[in-house]
Amino acid sequence: MIDKILSALKELDIRTYSITETRSWSAEAFFIRSSMDLKRRTTLKDYMVSVYVESEENGQKFVGDSVVPVYPGTDDAELKETLRSAYHAASFVRNPYYPLFDSGKKDPAPSGSAFAGRTLEENIRFMAETLFSCDTEGDVFVNSAEFFAVKKITRVVNSAGTDVSWETFNVNGEYVSQCLTPEDVETHHTFNFREPDAETFRADVEHAMKQTRDRACAKEAAPAGRYTVLLSGDQVRTIMSYYVDRADAGMIYQHYSDYEVGKNVQMAEQGDALTVILKAAEPYDRQGIPLTDRTLMENGVIKTIHGSARMAYYLGIEPTGVYRWLQVPTGSVPFAEMKKHPYLHIVLFSDFQMDSMTGHFGGEIRLAYLYDGEQVKLVTGGSMNGNILDAQRHMVFSTDRYQSALYDGPFAAAIPDVPVAGI
Amino acid sequence: MKVKPSPYIQSVRPLLKALLTELEKSYPYASILAADSREKSYSVNRRLSSISGSGMMSARGFVVKVFDGKHWSEHSFNEITEEEIPDILKQIRETAAMSAAALPAGITENEYTAPEEEETVFSDSTSYQNDPEELGDDVILEKMKAVRDRGLAVSGQILDCVVQINWNRTSKLFLSPKKDLEQNILWTTGMAGTVAAKGQEIKSSYRSVSALGGMELLDRLGADVEDAAKTTIELLDSLPMVGGEYDCVCSPEVTGMIVHEAFGHGVEMDMFVKKRAQAEKFIGQYVASPLVTMHDGAAAYEQTGSYFFDDEGTMAHDTVVIDKGILRTGISDYQSARVLGTEPTGNGRRESYRRKAYTRMTNTWFEGGSDRVEDMIASIGYGFLLEQPRSGMEDPKNWGIQCMVSIAREIKDGRLTGKIFSPIVLTGYVPDLLKSISMMSPAPELSGSGFCGKGYKEWVKVSDGGPYMKARIRLG
Repeated sequence: MIDKILSALKELDIRTYSITETRSWSAEAFFIRSSMDLKRRTTLKDYMVSVYVESEENGQKFVGDSVVPVYPGTDDAELKETLRSAYHAASFVRNPYYPLFDSGKKDPAPSGSAFAGRTLEENIRFMAETLFSCDTEGDVFVNSAEFFAVKKITRVVNSAGTDVSWETFNVNGEYVSQCLTPEDVETHHTFNFREPDAETFRADVEHAMKQTRDRACAKEAAPAGRYTVLLSGDQVRTIMSYYVDRADAGMIYQHYSDYEVGKNVQMAEQGDALTVILKAAEPYDRQGIPLTDRTLMENGVIKTIHGSARMAYYLGIEPTGVYRWLQVPTGSVPFAEMKKHPYLHIVLFSDFQMDSMTGHFGGEIRLAYLYDGEQVKLVTGGSMNGNILDAQRHMVFSTDRYQSALYDGPFAAAIPDVPVAGI
Repeated sequence: MKVKPSPYIQSVRPLLKALLTELEKSYPYASILAADSREKSYSVNRRLSSISGSGMMSARGFVVKVFDGKHWSEHSFNEITEEEIPDILKQIRETAAMSAAALPAGITENEYTAPEEEETVFSDSTSYQNDPEELGDDVILEKMKAVRDRGLAVSGQILDCVVQINWNRTSKLFLSPKKDLEQNILWTTGMAGTVAAKGQEIKSSYRSVSALGGMELLDRLGADVEDAAKTTIELLDSLPMVGGEYDCVCSPEVTGMIVHEAFGHGVEMDMFVKKRAQAEKFIGQYVASPLVTMHDGAAAYEQTGSYFFDDEGTMAHDTVVIDKGILRTGISDYQSARVLGTEPTGNGRRESYRRKAYTRMTNTWFEGGSDRVEDMIASIGYGFLLEQPRSGMEDPKNWGIQCMVSIAREIKDGRLTGKIFSPIVLTGYVPDLLKSISMMSPAPELSGSGFCGKGYKEWVKVSDGGPYMKARIRLG
């Protein structure tokens, strides 16, 4: 299909373009309790074509672009009309000029994942076996689960000379654990593994089941007030996402962020100064830009502005590509030490959110452990509503480590004086 | 004018018929859903503009669902020619047989009975006034730039004005032994938002429009962009909320978010099948104030959640979920209804042909009442007028609420004081909130500018709304 698209582009005299081909295969299984309710497979080919129109006015160069999907089975006439229409649309878009990124022509990069050595169905079975092997508690059980084993091969070809492809495997999904007494409650959990890791998955599931049991025993919300809030696991990654978003070249170009290399954005006082590393989870990003590990910030000071080829060109910096995986060195205080002083450890939110524009973070509390200096009490309900701009000087991170698909760093963060709406 | 059928779907219809005929030889039941969904998104702001046809809903392909006498399986693919049919059949058979490789030892598979269908042949399209593809990209962008310039001109404090418009044209063909259904739908949505900064804090406000129709929506886009800009500037001096329970007046958009997130997800009956929804135990009971009558249905309102039949071939309904405060029924997909022994309500929806069907909402809303907004505000000693919903998350099992809104306007002694609090988290127990509703304005307003997820995935287009309503709500 790529040859067909290239041929049509040539015939239409469209000289600047980028094509992304994604071939994917999945096996999927949907369970109610421990019985499979539905099985699915997908076999898909997708093509996205970006076309570019360059122009010049008063000595200033401009470029317009438009992206369209091209489907397998598209006949020649429809293909040409789709590309012609996209080129026409691009001619009305006049943005400052930027060149496409040239990654050169490279050999396909195979996945190193151990998932690649088995069929997709076997990968489903491996993960399902792990989940259901934990479903032995009786009072807490797996209510339902979904598994998606995915193989994907992505290829990017552009008119600047890029021709790269890479393969990825993962098994992702979700499960709901339920506890019937003393209150009938459930908790919802997602997972995403690039490697088969039964030990980590089993620990996650056992931890989730404990949280479900605790939620069943939690009766009321914490008293309203300001607390030293402990956040843990992927919630800590969500806090870090503020700095990643603010250091994005697109945010800076649009003047939504004033981050620049060398700027101390955290101004840590009593807290831990943050170091965040952007990790390359795949060999290239969606534009075909090679990904390498990069230090985003070190001791609270910005070291890298990251972003797409376009935004990087606008800012006159090196295009880094787009990252999702974060690594953070562990902090200064053991988690056990954090828990020696009064705290509200919120382990489950309805949906924990960080708004990178305003700096606000929070959500409704589904389960938290409240320690008043004497005893630990299970609480549920109410909400937390903090702001990173107030909190960042005083945040402390644990020496304990946590790893998930998109995060490798401190297990917990202690954030003092956070407003909580409770009873 | 009526939306035209997809030429592609028309061209592959004979192949899909041939595929179905082959499947009927091997399986007691099989169905095929073909979808061709095209969309275009336009965006302009102070520095950049864009046109893209690569949105989340763009997709063309097929899903085959087969019943082997006991179990269901599905195969999704996006390429079909006459020569490829044998290979597609082979893949469908392999999918139907995948349990042996995928199931852990000791794990069983649910068994079902054969579906029952009535002979149905159907074909229809929604209407529009202005075809977005005929109007021209240049005309659309120029109109959007004019709105942007008006937003930027309101104040030097406005950092940016973002204007977006999207249209989506979806054609679907559903084939099964007794059904031959075709539909063609066009919806359009738009948004004008402004951004301002105070130090490191970036505040924003927006106004959105949506319709089941075409680019006639362009005339309404940005009609109140100046209001959005003024609100954005007001937000720069917003105060943090003091947590507590307050008398609140909800704007129609906030009412819609409460209807959808707090209650709507809880009556999706695939959750009844999994015993994940508390609502199942409350059928026939008061769950809300007698002022509340709630609808859901693709045929319940003309908005972005409308269609003629769902992704399992069930015709669209207008389901009265709550009738004067009493929970009457949930909404369901076909398979859940079979398990529960209820009638399917036309709510079986897929994110695309690539994904499984779940019970999903469509157009979800509260009927209006008879109260005036001025009277609602005048009745409050201390409370808030809530505006601009941002996001929400369902909790069908435990009926907890999480809804985030951007604006709470202070009300004191029956009057708006001009003070704004932001951002706000709404929490509490759903029936407590719904039973506290004491006033409702006459006219429901629905908005379809957003998407709905199930958990953190499976995005579908929906609309929701209602009237202004007064309720007691815990804010934080």
